[in-house]
Amino acid sequence: MSLIQDYIPRNLPDYATQAPKQFQFNPYADNGGSVVALAGDDFSLIAADTRLSTGYSIYSRKQEKLFKLSDTTVLGCSGCWCDILTLTRVISARMQIYQHEHHKTMTTSATAQMLSTMLYYKRFFPYYVSNILAGLDNDGKGCIYRYDPVGHCEKNTYVAGGSAGALLQPLLDNQVGYLNQENVEKIPLTKDKALSVVKDVFISAAERDIYTGDGITIKIITKDGITEEKFDLRRD
Amino acid sequence: MSILAYNGGAIIAMKGKNCVAIAADRRFGIKAQTISCDFQKIYEMGPYLYLGLPGLATDSQTVMERLRFRLNLYELKENRKIHPKTFGSMISNLLYEKRFGPYFVEPVVAGLDPETFEPFICNMDLIGCLNLPEDFVVGGTCSEQLYGMCEAVYESNLQADDLFETISQAMVNACDRDAISGWGAIVYMIEKDKVTSRTIKTRMD
Amino acid sequence: MSFFNRADYFDLPYWQNGPAPGSLYHFPDFTTNFNSDAIQRTQSPMVTGTSVVGMQFKDGIIIAADVLASYGSLARFRNCERVIKVNDNIILGAGGDYADYQYLRSLIEQKILDEQCLDDGFKLKPKSLHCWLTRVMYNKRSSFDPLWNNFIIGGIEDDQLYLGTVDKLGTAFTDPVISTGYGAYLATPIIAKAYEANSQMTEKEATDLIYKVMQVLFYRDARSFPKYHLGIITKEKGIEIRGPISIVTDQ
Repeated sequence: MSLIQDYIPRNLPDYATQAPKQFQFNPYADNGGSVVALAGDDFSLIAADTRLSTGYSIYSRKQEKLFKLSDTTVLGCSGCWCDILTLTRVISARMQIYQHEHHKTMTTSATAQMLSTMLYYKRFFPYYVSNILAGLDNDGKGCIYRYDPVGHCEKNTYVAGGSAGALLQPLLDNQVGYLNQENVEKIPLTKDKALSVVKDVFISAAERDIYTGDGITIKIITKDGITEEKFDLRRD
Repeated sequence: MSILAYNGGAIIAMKGKNCVAIAADRRFGIKAQTISCDFQKIYEMGPYLYLGLPGLATDSQTVMERLRFRLNLYELKENRKIHPKTFGSMISNLLYEKRFGPYFVEPVVAGLDPETFEPFICNMDLIGCLNLPEDFVVGGTCSEQLYGMCEAVYESNLQADDLFETISQAMVNACDRDAISGWGAIVYMIEKDKVTSRTIKTRMD
Repeated sequence: MSFFNRADYFDLPYWQNGPAPGSLYHFPDFTTNFNSDAIQRTQSPMVTGTSVVGMQFKDGIIIAADVLASYGSLARFRNCERVIKVNDNIILGAGGDYADYQYLRSLIEQKILDEQCLDDGFKLKPKSLHCWLTRVMYNKRSSFDPLWNNFIIGGIEDDQLYLGTVDKLGTAFTDPVISTGYGAYLATPIIAKAYEANSQMTEKEATDLIYKVMQVLFYRDARSFPKYHLGIITKEKGIEIRGPISIVTDQ
């Protein structure tokens, strides 16, 4: 009681805690990065740049953004890096649990569904991540799934996502999907064509997107396993 | 939503060999609602001079009228055709006069020099910061998509027919990935002896 | 705050303009219009340390941080060590809120102690600490109560050099050259250039380079101090925390 009666307001701005300040700490960061994935009849190809950045500064020039989840599934992530770290760890754990419970590795389509569920589980405090999942379906055909941060899932054959997604998607529509092209033979995508398209589009993206650059890692998924290739981009 | 994206729209200009091309979509909308599919965003400001004004449609038309007025005064006073570069500075000047209450347009200029027939392109932001590149300029709500397309498909020193193909592909594919651009497109090919305008059929969704 | 019951002042079930039975009067000159549901969280750092720099050299890792803990623009505490030895494998440098760092250090010290009590011969490795620290930071940020720090973890794991960092969000990565705060702008370019020219620096070359960047930081970072500690871990000599080392300025 005396505490209150003895209270004499003093001018001590440093200790002023009259009302809590309405300040929101921002738990998200945009760490950039772009992912491109292409699917063929018997393979999937997924590529991501290796730059990790915030604003105008570069954290790292060689940060892997492709995560091998199984022998037929690779996940490419961009967005908030701390969420990517957490999400990919939880996915790995969930896949391990599945492996132990069912005595088989999760298929790409099962992984795709699980990822959607996991993202939606955090609907009101989302993982700020743009995900692209590449792999082989149950018939051994290449398949790509793309997601929004809260778990909308869509199956595609060619996808560009991340900071340069808007730059690259129309280009893939045109060059891989043959959209708006007349009187051309629609040749099914080959590994060599996919590889050269991916390199070309990343070179274009690095010209105009500051969050994409330094290098790319390409993973090619076939029934015989996953092969990796690296390619340098501009570093400015 | 930015006021620049209120009506939607996209414009590109590209340099070729002895020719320039400028292309725009034909949609006029209010936010997500499409009102018409024959809207003109490119204005003929002279025999070799074309101006594209993507952005807020009302400002686009106002800016065009005010520029036409200044252009007429200039050509009356000087008794000669304006150089596209001078015209660029004229737009920049007009826009910067409204530095703190700008017109919401991002102009794109394409033309040939009236004496040497040298190709010229330029663009600027809504307060008139000039940009004079060697290859192409873009503007409008799908500028990211346009940059991605142009950066990959553009080649220097293209002949008029190849340039037409290039600019059309860039325009159409970029617009297909933007909800508020597209619904038809128009391309002007400006050459020394002729100007060809072609309308392009596109997806209407 | 705890001796105010919210119900006494905001819900007046018995009679108006007075306290609930058994409660206190609401004195007119005393402002109680704060929401007692609110809890205090770190919304901004208070006493802070500035940049931490770290790099790899031929046979070890070096981490440096100055000894100043600032209270806003006031150079409040001028002898705070921010580079520590965690165990025989790991050194740790900390920037940002000093209290949060002390809290975390006590957690780590307890962790090391617990491990020693097990007496199984296992020792925490840098990668494990980095991973654990990332999880702690991420959990705190996810509860909107972040630990306002940047950490640099250096160490040797199975004869391999390890240098990693974590920030207040839980953003973590490894790189041969890492600096936090103003160091990212002022120190990283100098160190990265030297590292690209010669990634196999000797310990002497590395300490000389770090001296140079700490000097640059002292010149241009207003929250820095001309005294710093070095943490060096090498394969042969293990860990050495050196300092405080004084920066001699040109004037």
